[in-house]
Amino acid sequence: MLIRDIIENSGEKYPEIPAIRWLVKKDIVDRTYRELLDNVKKIRKGLLAKGFAGKHISIIGVSSVEWMESYLGIMTGKNVAVPLDAGLPAEDLIDLINRSDSEGLFLTPKAEKLLEPVLNHCSALKNIWMLQEEGFVVPGEVSALAAEKNVIISDMTDFLEDGKIPADAPDSDRPAPDDIATIIFTSGTTGKSKGVMLTQNNLAANVESVDYESEPGSILLSVLPIHHAFCLVMDWMKGFSLGATICINDSLLHMVKNMGVFKPGVMLMVPLMIETIYKRLAAADPSIPKKVIADNVFGGRLHTIFTGGAHLDPYYIDKFEEYGVEVLEGYGMSECSPVISSNTVKEHKKGSIGKPLCNAEISFDNGEILVKSTSVMAGYYKMPQETEETLKDGWLHTGDKGYMDEDGFLFINGRVKNLIILSNGENISPEEIENKLALGELVGEVIITGENNGLTARIFPDPEVVQAKGYSEEEVKTELQKFLDEYNKAQPTYRQITGLVVRKNPFIKNSTRKIKRQDVLIDEPIEA
Amino acid sequence: MTSEMQFKKIVGQYCEVAPEDMTNDLRFREDLGFSSLDFMSFLGELEDEFDVELEEEDALKILTVGEALELLARLQEEG
Repeated sequence: MLIRDIIENSGEKYPEIPAIRWLVKKDIVDRTYRELLDNVKKIRKGLLAKGFAGKHISIIGVSSVEWMESYLGIMTGKNVAVPLDAGLPAEDLIDLINRSDSEGLFLTPKAEKLLEPVLNHCSALKNIWMLQEEGFVVPGEVSALAAEKNVIISDMTDFLEDGKIPADAPDSDRPAPDDIATIIFTSGTTGKSKGVMLTQNNLAANVESVDYESEPGSILLSVLPIHHAFCLVMDWMKGFSLGATICINDSLLHMVKNMGVFKPGVMLMVPLMIETIYKRLAAADPSIPKKVIADNVFGGRLHTIFTGGAHLDPYYIDKFEEYGVEVLEGYGMSECSPVISSNTVKEHKKGSIGKPLCNAEISFDNGEILVKSTSVMAGYYKMPQETEETLKDGWLHTGDKGYMDEDGFLFINGRVKNLIILSNGENISPEEIENKLALGELVGEVIITGENNGLTARIFPDPEVVQAKGYSEEEVKTELQKFLDEYNKAQPTYRQITGLVVRKNPFIKNSTRKIKRQDVLIDEPIEA
Repeated sequence: MTSEMQFKKIVGQYCEVAPEDMTNDLRFREDLGFSSLDFMSFLGELEDEFDVELEEEDALKILTVGEALELLARLQEEG
């Protein structure tokens, strides 16, 4: 199965249903499945006509109709799409364009200032297309530089303008199921980011294996970054397979407002979003019925939120249920296209990350979750050693520790890579302890590190609680120490916390809001 | 309710600081404990409540309560 089969199938079945919906100022605009397919075909043919066959093409931008049409135009033919995080600094983007061997680039007009550095430093590029339908004017100095470097800069009229791509122009052959469709760079908290190579079949199998059904034309609001596999595959490809209308959230500033505008039934979120929305729900006047509050915040039709990417405190699952919204947690990683397991409408268990998808087989190696699946990546682009370390005998080593209960639900209780190995030979999963300590009233954020042959808790106290109780710095430390003393009482010696660092600032996070563990010892050392 | 009180009521949704204790030098992230997304959501609420349009790039440079109040006042004047 190919993503091209999936979208062509929806195009045939639901030609008049809006596939993509977005806002232009305050007006709602739609692209039907028929129109989407027409544009995708024009871009695919246009790329072929310009000599792009078997090439790598980067895309830089936030969610937009142009982004998605370009992405599909690339990967439904014989080319490889490389979505990049538009929020990265120019030097990182240049590095990724070069490391992915991209010869073409689709670029959001908002990142116009990237043109010059990209032209100067990405020598393999032959074409740059700005992600806007028409009217992009190349600034004079950039135009001269592009001419010097032999790079053509244009916009989407290059493909979409009437007559630009003749109807009888040859279309690209269909890719083979094992062809690489996309390279997604992992945000990786350590070292150099890795380009995850996903095949056509990897992606299509993930779309088909996620157990979720909805009526054609059902509304889905996409709020996650589109260059992440979770958003790209589950919001978009899965949404297309169902004939859903996928609405674009123009900014995180407007997430709640846009729920009111688009009235989605389903959304995908990371836990942080759920926590933030809950603050709005909880702040409402308690005398107002919860149904009214929910309609006001969620737009009136939201019934399901799928979440993943980080651990969600099950507390929120209960709380959202009170407002009529079911929160279903799942688990995955880019290397697995991305979903490995998920709670479903029919089968779910609070605190678990659900049952493995039907295409996934799970095994454990010293507690580490291993996955064998038709969605497991082909490898990391040009990183044979890292590939070998992660893919062994066909098993993907996830780096996460977990277990499966008697009903077949998967649970996570730590990460192999963060394992603390003490000199007495004991292995400690810091996340397991962190999850327990995080329940402390005064604990805002906590990271456990192994130091001086013992465990240290680095705690950023919850500023709200500190404020509410009027604690001084000294009192905060005393209270936290009392809490740790109490915790230690119930633990074997090797799991006791022997050091405490009270942090002045929250931990540094990466772009997916995960704490950058390698930085915690550097930015506020133990003497702090 | 004055604009400032309205403003502080919205801030109060994301933290437990009483409006009278919300001094202009308090920083949203460090002192009031806003997460990055809390701050985005808060800005969105300001837009709705005061019928103003924020430039995301500028708005994200705001660090303190005072800076946000200043920006709001300027946008309302330009209104």
